[in-house]
Amino acid sequence: MKGLLLKDWYMMKKYCRAYLLIAVVFIAVSLFSNDNMFFVFYPCLLCGMIPINLLGYDERSRWMQYSGTLPYTKTQIVSGKYLIGLLSQITILVATGVAQAAKMLIAHNFELGDFAVLMLLMLIVSTLTSSICLPFVFKLGVEKGRTAYYVMIGFVCGASVLASSILRGQLVSEIQPNLILALVAVAGIGIYILSWYLSIVFFKKREIQ
Amino acid sequence: MNALEIKNLTKSYPGFTLDNLNLTLPSGCIMGLIGENGAGKSTTIKLILDMIHKDSGSIIILGKDNTDSIELTKEDIGVVMDEVGIPECLTVKQVGNVMKNTFRNWDDAEYARLAQKLALPDKKQFKEFSRGMKMKLGIAIALSHKAKLLILDEATSGLDPVVRDEVVEMFSDFTRDENHSILISSHIVSDLEKLCDYVAFLHKGKLLLCEEKDQLLAEYGLIHCTAEEIQNLPAEAIKYKKENPYGIEAMVLRSAVPANFNVSPISIEELFVFMVKEAR
Repeated sequence: MKGLLLKDWYMMKKYCRAYLLIAVVFIAVSLFSNDNMFFVFYPCLLCGMIPINLLGYDERSRWMQYSGTLPYTKTQIVSGKYLIGLLSQITILVATGVAQAAKMLIAHNFELGDFAVLMLLMLIVSTLTSSICLPFVFKLGVEKGRTAYYVMIGFVCGASVLASSILRGQLVSEIQPNLILALVAVAGIGIYILSWYLSIVFFKKREIQ
Repeated sequence: MNALEIKNLTKSYPGFTLDNLNLTLPSGCIMGLIGENGAGKSTTIKLILDMIHKDSGSIIILGKDNTDSIELTKEDIGVVMDEVGIPECLTVKQVGNVMKNTFRNWDDAEYARLAQKLALPDKKQFKEFSRGMKMKLGIAIALSHKAKLLILDEATSGLDPVVRDEVVEMFSDFTRDENHSILISSHIVSDLEKLCDYVAFLHKGKLLLCEEKDQLLAEYGLIHCTAEEIQNLPAEAIKYKKENPYGIEAMVLRSAVPANFNVSPISIEELFVFMVKEAR
């Protein structure tokens, strides 16, 4: 497993430098923009794409086929991508978190509750892309997987709009904000674990040609 | 112990079936898998490595069923596929670091020695390698983790004749240890002829034969004669014949040919071509 992570680390150093640069610029800009959360969340969203991009490079170099000849289980191959994803997501999360905490402290408006909410939302945003995309990629390959991902996102967005228009003013007013937050956190973690499990199941069934 | 035992192996795709394949590779031997494009050589190798799922049959590698923790068995298998799938940005040194953390028995010194012997560039990225260099890196990896079985799928293709000869020599050295074995598929039948103890002919997913090379060469021969002369040969002696403007060329069973006929030696390539034509 260490070999898989090391290989991905070498690839990240080569192919993901631009991500690091963009993340640094966006984190810096977020320090000076008042209410625009785009600059806070975008680096998180971006780093969620890293495992998928690494899989794209793997597919191009036929590493998927070659890894089938090495002493790795399919579970290890899938888990390697989730772990390298988590590593990059946590790195960006910590960097963004430190920057936002510093900004709040300097502006004398640091509140632990607000900060925790922000961190939690960033965690969900950074893991959501790979949570949804990776099972499709492990089942169908990178190209077809990406297409399936876009279709899935379309359905999720459509369903969200429909649900919010139906439920507006009914349920939301009755639910405590803390409860919503807890539900979102549990759902985010649950989706990530389910995604990891499904990717292993799909990849075990897939024949590597 | 046998290095590899394949029994009744079957795998079907739309338009292709690998049909009831039976092969046994004894330890310390080299077996050449010969077949035209699409004969089922790569399918067989992928089934052995459990990269694709068999429909039926059994595969025993180094005494263990290939569905039973094959990742552990793969520690003892060196594989070179027709395309070496190393990430394009890695250098030889980085590949060594990755493999060191992949194989329990990785031998850094042997890898460095082979990289030097095969003239692999230190600083270049894999994407800058020629096809021949890529194959050489694959071979260096396969030979650097104390494997007991080498599985080589077109591993000598893309190499120039001098390097190919060196590599064939390396494979030959590998089997000096009686616990080491090789299963090799190649289009370059001359390499297999030099190297192999056993040959297996695959044609359209079916095994035409699997025999010791020397026995095959002793068993079969070639006769060049006229149409009248061939009438004097017993029918059971002629396995296949083809006519050309200069007469008839026939693949014959030496034991059934009368003593007055001059039988020339047959090469493995000629034998394969004749057998495929006979099968058609």
